[in-house]
Amino acid sequence: MSSEPVIDIQQLTKKYGEFTALHELTLQVPAGHVLGLIGPNGAGKTTAIRILAGLLRPTSGTAIIAGADCVKRARDIKRLIGYMPDRFGSYDNMRVHEYLDFFGAAFGIPRRRRMTRIEEVMETAGVTYMRDKFVESLSHGMAQRVGVARTLLHDPRVIILDEPANGLDPQARIEIRELILKLARLGKTLLVTSHILPELARVCDTVAIMTHGRLRAFGTVDQIGHQVSQRRTMEAQLLGADKVALAAEIIRKGLEADAEVTESPAEAIVRFRTAQTEERLGQVLVELVKAGVPITQFRELQTDLEEAFMTFAYANPNAGNGQMATAGSGAARG
Amino acid sequence: MVKWRLLDRGRPVANPIIQRELVGILRERRTFVALSLLSFVFALTVAVRWPTEPRMALSGSRSVEVFRLFMLGLLGALHLLLPVFPATSLVRERNRGTLGLLLNTPLGLWKIYSGKLLAVFGLASLMLFVSLPAAAACYALGGIPLISGLGGCYLILLLTALELCAMSLLVSSSATTTDAAIRGAYGLILGLSLLTMVPHALFVGSGGTTEVVADWLRCLSPLSALSQLLGSGDVASHGMTSPNGVPARFIALSCAVTLICSIWTISRLRFSMFDRSRSSGTVVDDQSLQVRAVRRVLFIVDPGRRSRAMSWFVNPVMIKEFRCRKFGRLHWLLRLVAACAVLALALAILTTTRTIAWDVATIGGILVVLQVALLVLITPSLAAGLICTELESGGWVLLQMTPMSAIRILWGKLLSVILTLALVLCATLPGYVVIVFIDPGQRGQIERVVLCLVITAGFATLSTAAIGSLFRQTAMAIATAYSFLIGLCTLPLLVWLGRDAPFGHDTVETALIINPIAATLSVIRFPGFRDYDLIPGHWWVIGVMSAASLILLVVQTIRLSRPR
Repeated sequence: MSSEPVIDIQQLTKKYGEFTALHELTLQVPAGHVLGLIGPNGAGKTTAIRILAGLLRPTSGTAIIAGADCVKRARDIKRLIGYMPDRFGSYDNMRVHEYLDFFGAAFGIPRRRRMTRIEEVMETAGVTYMRDKFVESLSHGMAQRVGVARTLLHDPRVIILDEPANGLDPQARIEIRELILKLARLGKTLLVTSHILPELARVCDTVAIMTHGRLRAFGTVDQIGHQVSQRRTMEAQLLGADKVALAAEIIRKGLEADAEVTESPAEAIVRFRTAQTEERLGQVLVELVKAGVPITQFRELQTDLEEAFMTFAYANPNAGNGQMATAGSGAARG
Repeated sequence: MVKWRLLDRGRPVANPIIQRELVGILRERRTFVALSLLSFVFALTVAVRWPTEPRMALSGSRSVEVFRLFMLGLLGALHLLLPVFPATSLVRERNRGTLGLLLNTPLGLWKIYSGKLLAVFGLASLMLFVSLPAAAACYALGGIPLISGLGGCYLILLLTALELCAMSLLVSSSATTTDAAIRGAYGLILGLSLLTMVPHALFVGSGGTTEVVADWLRCLSPLSALSQLLGSGDVASHGMTSPNGVPARFIALSCAVTLICSIWTISRLRFSMFDRSRSSGTVVDDQSLQVRAVRRVLFIVDPGRRSRAMSWFVNPVMIKEFRCRKFGRLHWLLRLVAACAVLALALAILTTTRTIAWDVATIGGILVVLQVALLVLITPSLAAGLICTELESGGWVLLQMTPMSAIRILWGKLLSVILTLALVLCATLPGYVVIVFIDPGQRGQIERVVLCLVITAGFATLSTAAIGSLFRQTAMAIATAYSFLIGLCTLPLLVWLGRDAPFGHDTVETALIINPIAATLSVIRFPGFRDYDLIPGHWWVIGVMSAASLILLVVQTIRLSRPR
């Protein structure tokens, strides 16, 4: 897997009159990575995606995909990316096979090669069984998968999926998630937007959180979690509830004065939030064991992506950009 | 029992739908534009014909002439502007899901229906109301009886408006898309107003039941009733005046049609109208040999077969356009072409057998009128939605993401329309061949007629496509394109109806120069159009308008396909 950035966005800004839809977005995504772009409505996600797809002209800044400028070489960009907008764009009276045949022909794929390619993408997207169905009669989940098949037809290097899991039932969501992972395994670079954050957390290597046209956080889910909260949430699972109070007391003594310690006798768990180092936490665990507290698990809880999203989404819109988590797989500045 | 009434500033509202619909319609920009345009045209008509000299004819002939044109223009305006509102009313509500909400309210079906009908009828009444000052001016000039003249005409117009609304709502209740509803409504209304007069024109004086049926049939058309009230004589009766009152028959028939359409529409307003099963996507290739054989006979080109991949030499957008059009599949095109060929040959056979004592020019004229009517009916529905349907459905973005240039996309789309129209025109050529065979002296004229038709088809395609590219909603685009094309083909004919009085030869000729029907009829020397020399002036005008439309279309397509 190459570490060269396939998507390179520098100081990208889009203004509509006085309104700034996108403010100096800087972002790099290496080849073969899955970037999740999240943010509330009006955050600038779709604006950024549409600039990358060559559908919008930025006010300033550059967006380069695989060495091609999205503005200056808009026609080349079309062959480099596969874009699935949030609207399916169905045509009446067309069967799935005809629909894919049309887009294959539009991309100039020769007839024989096109036939093979359609079978391949239908297989990849899991839509082979619906090849004869009419496009307008497909359910939303089916249509999304046909949409993904369409984006794969010309074998693009970068795939951009705008809200692929929106409006899908849990089963269809799982299928789309698996499909995204499958595409990632094929070596494609993916840019996915979604409101369904647990889905993104499971499939994305890197996540970018945007609000009010600005990039607020960028990095892996773990890095963003740490950025949101400097304190870690830890959990000590006991064998029974009888020594929960004792365990809580030992933990309080071992941590800083303002550490939050919560007892949950019903679950036989003691949870605490602390900024202590790994060494100090190790000493606390030793003290618990010495005191005869039957500990079965002593672990750190991962910060939820939803929690991170809510932290940034409801942050002061006029505040400057927070310090970005430096992802090992990419870089960003907003 | 809960008394269900909405209150509006303390006053009870009998039917909330009337208020919502009527206010909704009046808030629309197109309504304002239509009403303003009508008021302006009416004021202009009266201003142009207002006497400038202190003397005036006691007979009031001038005011009758103006009034005649004025009323026919009003009837035309009702036909052009009104159907779009009721035609989109029910289908749009159903597609948005609000019809289901309405059916869930305690409002009865009759109340829902009457609310919609009366709201659009309210708009029609407003259109007629803005014409009252001009009508009053005509009346003040003298020569027009108050009750039988002014009152009678307005009664016919009101009943026509109600009938058009009821028919359009019926179409709207069965259509699946707004553009299909508009197409259906305009087609039905055109059929009611014009085609119902054709049997009478063919069989007048023949006697027997056929003539009686044809006589009653033409009474369905408001044009017949209004023409008789205005003293223009019976339309298409070759000077023979019907002994029975056409207006009285029209009143009875229009009430009956309105009632039938209303009951029919109300009977459709049920939850069952939402029950549309999804197609299973069965392909004939997977069925038994017997089924395939039967379908082969029925369809010739079976639409249920698995289609082959597009060839490298065709424009994929053109194939896509054919495939995703309901009537674009080859079996439908074959049926259309066959129907056109049969009709053209039937007319030619009528000439050769002399079943009807018409000369070749008359038969050729009927062929021309039918062809232009077909072009007017088909072209806007094909061409007006070429761009805006893509914009509306989200398909334009997908097309933009392909490496095809805007010009190639546009060419593919235009080609799909041009080929369809070419097939239709070619299917009618055998009729002309027969005419040339009967009267070889007509060859030159027939060649010019065919050229006129080709130019008309090109103009209709380019102009309606250009109009459609300015809109983002297919329904609005198609309605505007229909209004433009029908207006272009009918309004100059109103001036022609007023030939000699009040309009002179030069005025009529100038008005007719933009009219494709008149130009073609003048070429074929059809009675009434022989005196006007419209070619090549008409070709120049239409050519310039086509070029302007093409430029607009290309600019608009390039603009839409570029990054914004």
